[in-house]
Amino acid sequence: MVHIENLSVSFEDTDAVKNVNLNIAPGEILGVVGESGSGKSVTALTLMGLVSDEAVITSGKVVLDGEVLAEVGKPRDKALYRRYQGSRMSMIFQEPMTSLNPTKTVGAQIEEMLKLHTDLDKEARKNRVIESMESVGLKEAAKLYDCYPHELSGGMRQRVMIAMAVILHPDVIVADEPTTALDVTIQNQIITLLKEINTKEKNAMLFITHDLNLARRICDKIAVMKNGKVVESGKTEEIFEHPKEAYTKKLIEAVPSRMKPRGDGECEAVQGEADKKNAEPVVQVDNLNVYYNEKSGKLFGGNKRRCVVSDANFVINKGEILGLVGESGCGKSSLSKAVLGMNKNIEGSVRHSSVRPQMIFQDPYSSLNPSRTVSWLLQEPLRAAGKLDKSLQMSKEDRRAAAVEMLRMVGLDESYMNRKPSQLSGGQRQRISIGQALITRPGLVIADEPVSALDVTLQAQIMELMRRLQEELGVSYLFISHDINVVYQMCDRIMVMKAGRIVEQGKTEDIFNNPKEAYTELLLRES
Amino acid sequence: MRYFLKKIFTLIMTLFIVSVAAFLAFQIIPGDVVGSILGTEATPEREAQLREELGLNDPPVVRYVNWMTDVLKGDLGESYRYSKSMNEMMPVDELIGDKLPVTLWLAALSLVIIVVVSIPLGVFWAKSRNRFVDAFMSVLTQTTMAVPAFFLGILVTYLFGMVFKWFVPGGYVSYEEDFGGFLKYLIFPAVSIAMPKIAMTARFLRNSMLTEMHSDYVRTARSKGCTDRQIMYGHVLRNALMPVVTFLGMIIAEIVAGSIVVEQVFGLPGIGRLLISSISTRDLPVVQILVMYITAVVIIVYFLVDILYRVIDPRISHK
Amino acid sequence: MQKKEQQKGKVNSVPHKLVKWLKNGNPYLWIGLFMTGVAVGLAVLGIFWTPYSTTEMSAAERFVGPSLKHLFGTDNFGRDIFSRVMEGAGITILISSLVVLFSGTLGILIGAVTGYMGGVVDELVMRVTDAVNGFPSILLALVMISIMGSGNQNLILSLGIVFTPSFVRIVRSEFIRLRDADYISRARLMGVGRLRILFVHILPNIFSTFWVSVMIGFNNGILAESGMSYLGIGVQPPEASLGKMLSDAQGYLMKAPWYALAPGLTIVWIVLGFSLLSEGIRRKS
Repeated sequence: MVHIENLSVSFEDTDAVKNVNLNIAPGEILGVVGESGSGKSVTALTLMGLVSDEAVITSGKVVLDGEVLAEVGKPRDKALYRRYQGSRMSMIFQEPMTSLNPTKTVGAQIEEMLKLHTDLDKEARKNRVIESMESVGLKEAAKLYDCYPHELSGGMRQRVMIAMAVILHPDVIVADEPTTALDVTIQNQIITLLKEINTKEKNAMLFITHDLNLARRICDKIAVMKNGKVVESGKTEEIFEHPKEAYTKKLIEAVPSRMKPRGDGECEAVQGEADKKNAEPVVQVDNLNVYYNEKSGKLFGGNKRRCVVSDANFVINKGEILGLVGESGCGKSSLSKAVLGMNKNIEGSVRHSSVRPQMIFQDPYSSLNPSRTVSWLLQEPLRAAGKLDKSLQMSKEDRRAAAVEMLRMVGLDESYMNRKPSQLSGGQRQRISIGQALITRPGLVIADEPVSALDVTLQAQIMELMRRLQEELGVSYLFISHDINVVYQMCDRIMVMKAGRIVEQGKTEDIFNNPKEAYTELLLRES
Repeated sequence: MRYFLKKIFTLIMTLFIVSVAAFLAFQIIPGDVVGSILGTEATPEREAQLREELGLNDPPVVRYVNWMTDVLKGDLGESYRYSKSMNEMMPVDELIGDKLPVTLWLAALSLVIIVVVSIPLGVFWAKSRNRFVDAFMSVLTQTTMAVPAFFLGILVTYLFGMVFKWFVPGGYVSYEEDFGGFLKYLIFPAVSIAMPKIAMTARFLRNSMLTEMHSDYVRTARSKGCTDRQIMYGHVLRNALMPVVTFLGMIIAEIVAGSIVVEQVFGLPGIGRLLISSISTRDLPVVQILVMYITAVVIIVYFLVDILYRVIDPRISHK
Repeated sequence: MQKKEQQKGKVNSVPHKLVKWLKNGNPYLWIGLFMTGVAVGLAVLGIFWTPYSTTEMSAAERFVGPSLKHLFGTDNFGRDIFSRVMEGAGITILISSLVVLFSGTLGILIGAVTGYMGGVVDELVMRVTDAVNGFPSILLALVMISIMGSGNQNLILSLGIVFTPSFVRIVRSEFIRLRDADYISRARLMGVGRLRILFVHILPNIFSTFWVSVMIGFNNGILAESGMSYLGIGVQPPEASLGKMLSDAQGYLMKAPWYALAPGLTIVWIVLGFSLLSEGIRRKS
C-alpha cells in the first residue's frame, strides 16, 4: 500500500532524512522508532504531504497504492495530495489539545472531513459523525458533538482525533506519537483501539514513537531510525530478540525494563546497608495533608481549600532512594513541594534532619537561569549558603574550585565553565542541574521526573550518573516518576500514589512481585 | 448570569471610584477659585459670600454627596467662566449638551473606519507570500504609526481643505441642521485619528494570524485536505481575531485621547476643545464633569468589549 | 589551546564586537540607527550651537522658503526654522528620555515587588494601574497639569506618572511568569535572599522584553509631549518645542506650508527611527 523508496529530505542544507526505504502492506502496522531529531516525524509528514515548504526532496519517491505522490525533482502537487489527504490517508497527532481548533465544536471538526470529501446532506453527515464517535468508544456522542475541545479530557480528545481520522475509512493512517501526551492507563486504551481499527479496517498504519516498549506491543514491523537513516528494520520479534546493529542494541538496553536485573551487586549491598541504618531517617512525614487554595467564582466567597494530598506517612532513610509513582494529577508534585516546605498550606508534620534539601526538575530547559554562566550557576548555592551561615563562607577561589570539581563529577570538564545554558544540550543541562543541587551536599534531593524529558539513551546515562553520585555523596533521593520501569531501575523502596493518597509502599522487589493493591497491579500490567 | 451581575457591580464601583477621584483631584487644586472668579473686584466680604454661595465651606464628604446627588439629578452645576446672561452663569449641562454628540460621533466614526479598513488589510498582509509586499507593508505601517494624529490632521487640512478644497478648514455644520454635512465634516478628522490605529491594528492582526497559521490545528486541517483558503477563513481567522478584539478595546481610550487633540486641529466644537479651554481658564466644574464623562464612556466601552469577548470565545463562555 | 583562547580574546575587543553586531543586523537596524543617530546628534549639537539664533527676529526675512541659507525656511518672525527645530527636538528628546527614565525605574521597582510577592498589595496596585491604563493617557496628563500648573518639571512628572502603569504591567507580568520558573524555585530552595532573587536572578532575564517597552515608551513620550505642547499645555514659550511650532504654523498653512512640515516631519523622523531600531533589535534576537 505505502511504498517509500530511497527518500531523502533536506531543509536548507541539512539532511533530515537520508535514503529511507519503507513498505507497509494493508492490515499491517509499521513502527518507526527513534530518538528526537532522528527524522521519523519528517518522514511521516513527507508521506502525508504536510512537511513545511522549505523542505526539498533530494532523492527517491513516495508511492501510495501505485500512484506517485512525491518524487525528486518534481514540485509538490498540492491538488494531488488533497485528493488523498483525509479521504485515503489521515493522520493522528501527538498533542490532541493543540491539534484541534479551540473555537470549533468537535462535532463540526469531524464533520469537516465529510464536507470536504463527500456530498452527504447535513443530517446524514451528523449521523455519520456520531456513528464514528461511538465506534471509537466515545460515550454519549450526541452530547459530545457540541462540546469544545477544552471541555474534554486528554484521552477523549485523542479519541476525537481518531474518530476524525477513521471516518472515511482511509487506506493509510499515520499516528505520530499518539499516546505520548497521555497517562499510562489511557495510553493503553488508545493503543488497543488503534490495533483494533487496524485489524478491522485492514489499513496500513505508520506508528511513530520514541518508546520501544510501546512499539513492541502494537507493531508488526519496526524500523529503527537514527540521524535521518534507517539503521535496522524487520519483524518486531526479530528486532527485539536478535538486534544486529549496535545502535539498536544500545536502544533496547537503555530502555528501563523489569526484564533486566536491577542495578548491580553493589546496589544490593547499599540497600542492605540502608536497612541497617534504619534508625537514621533524613525526613519523616506523618499524617500529612496538603491543600491548595482555589479561587471561587463568588465575589466575596473567598477561597476554597482543596485537599490534594491526604494522610501521607513515610520515611526516607539516609542513603536511600525512595520512588514515588503515579499518574499525572495524583498529587506527586504537591507532595514533594510540601516536603520541601514550598507549600506551607499543610496539616501534619514533616521533619527533616538534613539542611536545605534540593530539587531537580523535569524540564532541563527551564531549570537553569538562562542569563547566567555555568560557573555562576554552580557557585550560587555556595554563595547563598555562605550568606545564611557565616561558617560556610568560602573565598572566591575555593568556590570556583568546588564548582570545577562538581563539573567533573557530573561528567563535564572545565571548558564548560563559561558557557550559558543556551549553549548546552538537554542532557548537559540536566547534568548541571544535578551538580547545582548536589554542590552543597544536601542530605536529601527530590528529583521530579528528572529523566522524563530526555531520550532513552540519555535517560540511561543520567540515571546512572544520579546513582553514582548518590553512592559517592551518601545523599538520599525522593525519586518521582510516572514511569514505573524507571522507578524499578532506580529505587530501593517504592510508594504508589493515586488521587492524593499513598495506596501502597514497600521494597521495590516486593511491590513488583506481589503487589497488594489492585491499582498497583493495573499500573504494572499496563506499562 | 452571575458573571454579568459581578461585572455590572464592578462597573458601578469603578464609576464611583472615578467620581471620588475626580472630586478629590479638584479639591486639592492649588490656587483659589474664588479669587480667580472675582479677579480685581475681590474684597474679603465678597470672597466670603461667594465661598458660601458655592458651598466651599462644607466638609468634603458633604460636598461630594451634594455634588453627586446634583449630578445624578441631572444638575451638573454651573460654569465659573461662561455666562448665559449678565447675572446668570452658564449651567454645565447646557454647555456640554450640544458638544458631547460631536465627540461621540467622531470617536465612533474613527472606530468604524479602523475596523473596516484594518481587518481586510491585516488579512491581505498575512496572506501575501511576496517579500516585497511584506516589506512594503511593514515600512508603510511603521511610518504611519510614527505620524501623530494632530500632524496628520494638519496635513489633511492642507491637502484636502486648502489644495483640493473638499471641505472648508475650520468650518462645521451642526448635526441638527444637516446630518450628512455634519458627517462630511467629521470624516477628515476621523481619518486623521484612525490612520495610525489602522496601521497598528493591521500589524497586530497580521502577527496574530501568522502565529495561528503555525499552530497544530492548522496542520490537522491540512491533513484533512483543506485548501489554503478553507484553512484561512474556516480556521485561522476566527482564532486570530480574538486577541484583536481585546486590542481594539484597548485603543478606544487612545481614540478618545486622539479626538481631544484632533478637534483642536479641525476646530470642531466638541468636548475636547471645551476641555482644553476649560483647563487653561481653570473652569473647574466643567473640567470635572468632562473628565467624568469621558472616563465613564471609556469604562462602559471596556465593559461591552469584555462581554463581546465572552460571546465569541467559547473557551471562556463555556466554563 | 591557551594561545587560541588569547587570540580569541583579542579579536573580541569592543569595536570589533560592534562591527560584528552591525554586520549580523538587518535593514531595520541599520536604517533605525542612521535615523536616530542623525536626530539625536543634531539635537545634542543644538544645545551648544545652532546655525542661527533661535530667538532673534528679522522683519526682512519673514516666510522665506527652504533654501541653502535657511534649510527649512523661516517663520512669521523671520527666525530660522532649522535652528528652532534643532532646539525643539532637543527639548522633546530630553523630556521624553526623562519621562521614560522616571516611569521605567518606578515600573521596575513596583512591578518587581508586586509581581513577585502577589497578595493584597499586588491586587491593589493592579487595580490602580488598570484604571490609569484604561484612561486616555493625554487626558490624565492634562488633568494633572491643570492641577499642578504648567512647566517642564510638572510636564515630566505628569507624563512620568501616566506612563508608569504600562511599565509596571510589563515588569509585573514578567516577574509573575518567572517567579514560578523552575530555576527560581531552586534559587529559593538554595536559600537565596528575596532581594537577590528579584534583582540578580530574575531581573536580567526580563531586559530584552523591557528594552522593547522602553523604546515604545520613549516614542509615546515624544508623541505625548508634542501633543500637549501643540495644545499649549506642554513646553511653554519662549522655549522652542516641536508641538508648539506646529500649532503656530497652522495659522500660516497657505502662506508657508514648510513651517508646519518641518517640525511635523521631524517628529515622524524621530519616532520612526526609534521604532525601526527597536524592530531591528527585536528581529535580531
